[in-house]
Amino acid sequence: MTTADIYKTDPSPVAPHGGIMRRLNVGTGIIAGIVLAVVANVLAKKLADGHTHEPDVRAVFTMFGWAVGFLLGMGAFTGPFRWLVGRDLTHADELFLAGKDQGVGRYFRFTTDHKVVGIQYLVLVMVMLGAGGSMAMLIRTDLISPNSGFLGPQTYNSLVGLHGLTMILATIIMVTGPFGNFVVPLMIGARDMAFPRLNALSFWLLVAMLPILYSAAFLGGIPMGWVGYTPIADQGPPGVDAYMMAILVFAVSTAVAGMNITTTIVTMRARGMTWTRTPIFVYGVLASVVLALPAFPFFMAAELLLFVDRVMGGGFYVPNRGGQPWLYQNLFWLMGHPEVYVILIPAVTALMELTAVFARKPLFSFRIAVLSIIAIVGLSATVWAHHMFASGWAPDLNGPFMLTTEMISIPTGGLFLVILGTIWRGRIWTAFPMMCTYAMLWNFIIGGITGIYLSDVPLDYQLHGSMFVTAHFHYTLMGAGLTGAMGALGYWFPKMTGRMLGNTPAFVSFWLVQIGFNVTFLGMFMVGLQGQPRRVVHYDASFHTGNTISTLGAYCIGIGMLVLLYDVISSWRHGDLAPMNPWGAKTLEWTVPNPIPLENFAVLPVVTEDAYGYGEEPVPESEPEPVPASAGAEADVPGAPA
Amino acid sequence: MGKKLIGPIVTVLLGGAFVTVLGLLLHQSLSPAVAARVTAATPPSATEQHHVYVHLDTYPDSMAGEHGKDGGAEPDWVSYGPGTNINVPAHSLVTITISQYDGGEAITNPWFAKVHGTVGGTETVDGKPVTQIDPEAVGHTWTLHAAPTAQDPLFVSAPLPAVPDDAPIAAGSDYPKPIEVTFSFHTKGPGKYIWNCEFPCGDGYYAKFGGPMSTRGYMSGTFTVS
Amino acid sequence: MSVETTPADRQGRSRSEELKTLTILWAIFTVLGVIFALIVPHHLMGPSASNTMTEVERTFTMFSVASAPVAAVVWALAVYSLMRWRRRGAWKEGDPDGPPLRGHGMTSGIWIFLSSALCLFLLIWGLAALSKVDSAAASGATPLEIDVTGQQWVWTFSYPSQGVESDQLVLPVNRPVVFKVTSDDVIHSFWLPEMGIKVDANPGVTTSTSTVPDRLGLYHVRCAELCGLLHADMETNARVVTSDDFDTWIAGQGGHA
Ligand SMILES: [Cu+2]
Ligand SMILES: [Cu+2]
Ligand SMILES: [Cu+2]
Repeated sequence: MTTADIYKTDPSPVAPHGGIMRRLNVGTGIIAGIVLAVVANVLAKKLADGHTHEPDVRAVFTMFGWAVGFLLGMGAFTGPFRWLVGRDLTHADELFLAGKDQGVGRYFRFTTDHKVVGIQYLVLVMVMLGAGGSMAMLIRTDLISPNSGFLGPQTYNSLVGLHGLTMILATIIMVTGPFGNFVVPLMIGARDMAFPRLNALSFWLLVAMLPILYSAAFLGGIPMGWVGYTPIADQGPPGVDAYMMAILVFAVSTAVAGMNITTTIVTMRARGMTWTRTPIFVYGVLASVVLALPAFPFFMAAELLLFVDRVMGGGFYVPNRGGQPWLYQNLFWLMGHPEVYVILIPAVTALMELTAVFARKPLFSFRIAVLSIIAIVGLSATVWAHHMFASGWAPDLNGPFMLTTEMISIPTGGLFLVILGTIWRGRIWTAFPMMCTYAMLWNFIIGGITGIYLSDVPLDYQLHGSMFVTAHFHYTLMGAGLTGAMGALGYWFPKMTGRMLGNTPAFVSFWLVQIGFNVTFLGMFMVGLQGQPRRVVHYDASFHTGNTISTLGAYCIGIGMLVLLYDVISSWRHGDLAPMNPWGAKTLEWTVPNPIPLENFAVLPVVTEDAYGYGEEPVPESEPEPVPASAGAEADVPGAPA
Repeated sequence: MGKKLIGPIVTVLLGGAFVTVLGLLLHQSLSPAVAARVTAATPPSATEQHHVYVHLDTYPDSMAGEHGKDGGAEPDWVSYGPGTNINVPAHSLVTITISQYDGGEAITNPWFAKVHGTVGGTETVDGKPVTQIDPEAVGHTWTLHAAPTAQDPLFVSAPLPAVPDDAPIAAGSDYPKPIEVTFSFHTKGPGKYIWNCEFPCGDGYYAKFGGPMSTRGYMSGTFTVS
Repeated sequence: MSVETTPADRQGRSRSEELKTLTILWAIFTVLGVIFALIVPHHLMGPSASNTMTEVERTFTMFSVASAPVAAVVWALAVYSLMRWRRRGAWKEGDPDGPPLRGHGMTSGIWIFLSSALCLFLLIWGLAALSKVDSAAASGATPLEIDVTGQQWVWTFSYPSQGVESDQLVLPVNRPVVFKVTSDDVIHSFWLPEMGIKVDANPGVTTSTSTVPDRLGLYHVRCAELCGLLHADMETNARVVTSDDFDTWIAGQGGHA
């Protein structure tokens, strides 16, 4: 039963004039947000006047007022409200919410169509990457020489924290947001997400979050980096309240989005799309949100305790009040490590998806791909304390955590096997998305190996908290994660915008970004091994060379990213019109026309085989060179029926 | 070809301009350095050319010194004055006199109630030479240490006793009569150093290192030897 | 649309030739990787100043050498695939597909076996190194105990048995030393980069780490945990001196040996 079926039997079709909800958009949202923020601020002043925690009480009230006001003004709660007063949304209302016949305006409303939400996410991710990238440029400029004096220590520390948090939040949503929302329902043959209004809510919560996060810059900054370690977070200025509130809003958004995507994938796959016929990218997105669902509540809990400390005078993290900073670190990393895979798995599976297409071969060992993902999801919940080897917490557990951490390298190796096996003897078309697969192989092997160094306890004692760690996780999150998202962008751009992404600028950008990236972070490995700590505004003259190399590389990345931005904007506006299936792929999203109609499929598809039957169609029995797998040693996935 | 390049180049330039504007906004602007007064007297020793004098004040608020009569953005914060960036010549004898107007309490690390790194290991408090002050009544400290890029190690720490809470406001002033603390030390080669107060006198609900202690221009500053 | 027309087959390249080229590529990458592993990390980390650091550098080099063949597999396959199987020009409707290879039990099996074996090796190596590090100071002469206090933004060192306190760390050579580390305010991290030891300085608790400095010289103490405004400046010197010089220094500080 789809929503469309329900609409047809709607007993009371009301004419489309009804209600204030049709006038709500970002503008009314901002106005209501500001009004409520001011009201909350005045209220908080009355409430906490003269109290020690007054600035913090006022800050969180104002931010809370903003978030609630913005969502109210956007019309986010229209549905539940109408339901409460007994005037449930009509079919016409639902169609209006889905953005029917509204042109560009639908991108600025609380629109429920998954394709609109996907595009909104894409733009939001690009904005966040731009903001985080600009901060990175300033950070690297400061570090170009040992004592450049470009940024003061306070500005620098805040920038480092805001860059980190911006990038982490952006990379968490960069694949599941744009592509998970836009592509996954198409890929599984569904007309929309399971909960379209929650889908819109998850996006607009993020929009509400951004001003809160960046208000930190005007509230004294954040002194403690993106990890928000306590007790320095207890000591910090009201900027820390902005950090805390932004995380709380973000955690609600991920919970809403995760629940929605999980339900969609589990219950709304097309008829015949069994788990063995479900594309690997759908698994990747599912794994990502299923991992995020239990992980983010830990972060939320950590920040709620900080909220009690900072706003209400509690002492969860304050030692002289019986508090314990290690509690924060445990809660934080219980989110923090799974989060790495929340970012990586969808990016890597997107590359798997397109590698099969660009190599014109079935995905190599679908079973190992799925089992590896499951193993990673399971193991990544058991490794968090490898971030705490040097903290002094539970030294007896260092051995066991080293074990679980190193075990993750086995399923991670499985992911490599799948991609390499798919490339093996393929007919490889090195278009931009496929180039991203190759870049990911190069970067991720470096990121993975350096991760093994850090999992080794004695080595971690030396490397923890140094630039080596910074370089390592940039290799995984940026070198593998972001590169994967860029491949996904190139791959699905024709379906999302109806136009092809310009090839030459993408090519130029690719080389600028990838060469710049490797230069930047190899330089950073260098100074890390030499002994430079992370997050320092100036450094010993002996680290000069590596830092200068890093800075020059970073500029190269910046220029490359801007070229890609140009490519996206110009191709979106007047690129070549894309055919329905420009890559000759077999997944369902390529069977809908451009532009995609409101409810995607006129007739819901029925799936009879998986999407990887390259080279199998005509007469599978008469293959001239039988591959050893068919000899019976391992029949990974039953392919096309024999 | 030329036409095709315009778009990307404009994008790169616009992006570069955006980052530059952001950089100009966030760029650190150090307030003017506190002038070291060079005496006309004979050089202090054969190896040292200069004997320079620096005068600083510590206030219980920001209404004097570099934040001006209105106290700047945070009038209530304790502050050093007249400025927090100090320039002195290399290989010199530096004598710093601090007029301390602020109260205080017990220090967390009594080691900083002692004098370190000065000539003779002493400072004078209202003219009396001492090697340490009462750790239960510390106002601030002036603690100089090397930044990672400094050429030569230099560590000086001078504790400033607290003005008693019941001290009367001096005539013609907004503050009680200050405690005068004087100490001297030798600078080595050129380098950039930092100094800060090691007595937690800031706000924040934890460890009192927030607010003025964690913000440039109040309880910390730079010390440039050139 | 049949598999006969894959470029490899067209050129009459047999499976063994394919494997041969791959193996050569792999060997080249491995050798390059091993050379890199033997020279670069050690060069960057500099001469070790303690037995712990010697162990750290040895492990780092060992892991790098062990990873070289693994990375080489990936790089060799990637490079080879680009050399041999790259399509000239874009895909067009009706172009032949690659061979429908859905898996290869043998390959998968070997892959998983080897990666598990490697993982096990790293684990055993790590556990052995860990126990060595942990027992470093337990042997030999009575360890020198030093209480380290981090505070925003200075380190202070106290030698309880000698009755000395200082902002500088002075260590006698070849004598085990135990650092008892704590903090007066926020979390800092006590790091001796040239000696390969680090432990967080947490308020309210004492953590410890130990090593045996084995090389005379001037080294660094750095803070490795962002601790606020002047975190970057929270460093001081660590001097390793002869045992006589150490006694002289202690006496000079008013302590007793
Ligand atoms: Cu982790
Ligand atoms: Cu002070
Ligand atoms: Cu520190």
